[in-house]
Amino acid sequence: MSLRQRLIPYWLLGPGLLWLIVFFVVPMYFMGELALRSGSLTTGYTFDWAWGNFPDSLSGHTEQIGRSFFYAGAATVLALLISYPLAYAIAFRAGRFKLLLLFAVIAPFFTTYLIRTIVWKTILSDDSPLVGVLQTLALVPQDGRVLATSGAVIAGLTYNFLPFMILPLYANLERLDSRLIEAAKDLYSSSSQAFLRVTLPLTMPGIVAGVLLTFIPAFGDYINAQLLGGPQQSMIGNVIQGLYLTQRDYPEAASLSFLMMALILAVVVVYIRFAGTGAFMGDEDERGTA
Amino acid sequence: MESRESKDKFAGRVRRAMGAPIVVVVLALTIGACGDDTVGGGGNGDVTTAKAGQVTGKLTISNWPGYIDPGSKGTVAEFEDETGVKVDYIEDVNENDAFFGKLQPQLEQGESGGRSIFVVTDWMAKQMYDLGYLQEINHDDLPTVFENILPNLESPGFDPERRFSVPWQSGMGGVWVDTSKAPEIRSVNDLFDPKYKGKVTMLGELQETVPLVMLAEGVDPSEADNDAWFKAIDKIKAAADSGQIRDFTGNEYTEDLTAGNIVAAIGWSGDASLIENKNAEWRMPSEGCTLWSDNMVIPVGAPNTAAALGWMDFVYDPKVAVDITEYVEYISPVEGVKDLLEKRGSELAESEIVFPTEEFTKDCTDQELPPDPEPVKEAWQEVITG
Repeated sequence: MSLRQRLIPYWLLGPGLLWLIVFFVVPMYFMGELALRSGSLTTGYTFDWAWGNFPDSLSGHTEQIGRSFFYAGAATVLALLISYPLAYAIAFRAGRFKLLLLFAVIAPFFTTYLIRTIVWKTILSDDSPLVGVLQTLALVPQDGRVLATSGAVIAGLTYNFLPFMILPLYANLERLDSRLIEAAKDLYSSSSQAFLRVTLPLTMPGIVAGVLLTFIPAFGDYINAQLLGGPQQSMIGNVIQGLYLTQRDYPEAASLSFLMMALILAVVVVYIRFAGTGAFMGDEDERGTA
Repeated sequence: MESRESKDKFAGRVRRAMGAPIVVVVLALTIGACGDDTVGGGGNGDVTTAKAGQVTGKLTISNWPGYIDPGSKGTVAEFEDETGVKVDYIEDVNENDAFFGKLQPQLEQGESGGRSIFVVTDWMAKQMYDLGYLQEINHDDLPTVFENILPNLESPGFDPERRFSVPWQSGMGGVWVDTSKAPEIRSVNDLFDPKYKGKVTMLGELQETVPLVMLAEGVDPSEADNDAWFKAIDKIKAAADSGQIRDFTGNEYTEDLTAGNIVAAIGWSGDASLIENKNAEWRMPSEGCTLWSDNMVIPVGAPNTAAALGWMDFVYDPKVAVDITEYVEYISPVEGVKDLLEKRGSELAESEIVFPTEEFTKDCTDQELPPDPEPVKEAWQEVITG
């Protein structure tokens, strides 16, 4: 191989790498530096290896961290339960409506995230017809409400991140070789057995990707909690936002952000190990052994 | 066996992958630590004075929502017609702290985010000035302002000589009530009545909500020590934890009143134009209100300060100020507005909310800061983020 040929992969990596350095590595460096400063807005923040910021930033916020896990987890499970049948239907049963249905999945994204969430505020307001119906069906107590409850925040998260679950699942199901399901049935498996032992394992990569794409942004989200929740629904994103914008305790906000990234990273590593790196990478040889 | 091996391989890869960045980050931090290492702490100490001159060009103003008629026949358009200045009027001040938080990194660099005027509340103007983020104003450049300003606004405690602030409007913090749903609410204490559980909101601004609760408790906020602040905050926290208080808001409480989500809120006296609910009424709490002004200030690095000064002088013309009052229904800082309203036959001239008498505001308090603000602010933030 000539030198030029050997350099080609690096050239191809270049734009992505540059992007990562400028928009991820450099900001991370500054954030790390900020996390180790101490002081106040009036005296200025001085860099002095203030490792104490890390434990300080956690104190008093464990409740919001737990809540973020719960909300993001619930939203991810809900999104999976809604998305799987939908993606399955689009991939196998939609026929000529396939493109139209896929478009319908993405269509809400033509409106910005913030507006979509604010609209839900109107839809779920206390005197709205929807809430009236829910009250009649006794799904919500007669004098109850939907807005400013955990349910509203979880629903908002589920709604906002749904396409991130549907699209990887669809891409995966679409590629699925239907002859494998036929073969399973030829070998006397029932429909549900064929699903559990053929379809589901083969779509694990889509599920793992969808879960990650939903859970990670949902965990750090603060818009849904802010607009659809009340003070009792604050997530860790709201705490960080408050630290940055209201209290302007930049070091503590930066260290809390770091800890949350580490936490998410740890969760993801464990999850991928558990779900099998092979499944995630689509490497079918490794699946049997992992 | 194979599985075990692949796990070890994986762990090894992870260790190798993690090792290099950690070394790089530690090295970079060590190098960084040797450089100039203070962020924040205010400007360089040289206070500039806003330059006057030809009123022309482009002017960007940041103000609170609902604080002017931005329409084609409104005050902004009128100023543009008269001077030829192109105005970019942004309604992006929803809470003092959040607005400051957004712009502070730029102000620290001596930049104003392209804006030439901010409108912020008294204590925030003072905080910005103390940090070196504001330019001073020469009274000679603002003849109309200082001819027409109300005498009681000429020398406020936070800026006795009006060196860096010009009042935009004044107002009162009190209670908004949906009279069709909770006509009997007349006091801040009524908001804690379990009857209205989940149906009341309070403002997220510490200096607004906590003094009102202190007044309701019979404490004078101007003489309160930190313990009194903490006590009031504890009371609010208990109500928030129990679900009594639905949310802490900026101007969004007006939307909740419009949508019928709440029956009452702590809110500002002149927000009627933002509330589409004819039963909504602002009430002076029986224990008193908070009194404040929002002020026009010129930030450091502001482009076109000449146009900014031109704007300030323009809105202090009573003929302009009366239009603003008719639209926003806050307390005008301009002398002569009441007479003009009477001439127009407007019922606002009789309104106690727009022209409060001393008798009406006798129990009211200025917005005070706690003696040692930082721990109080921290405790307050914990209430707001549950």
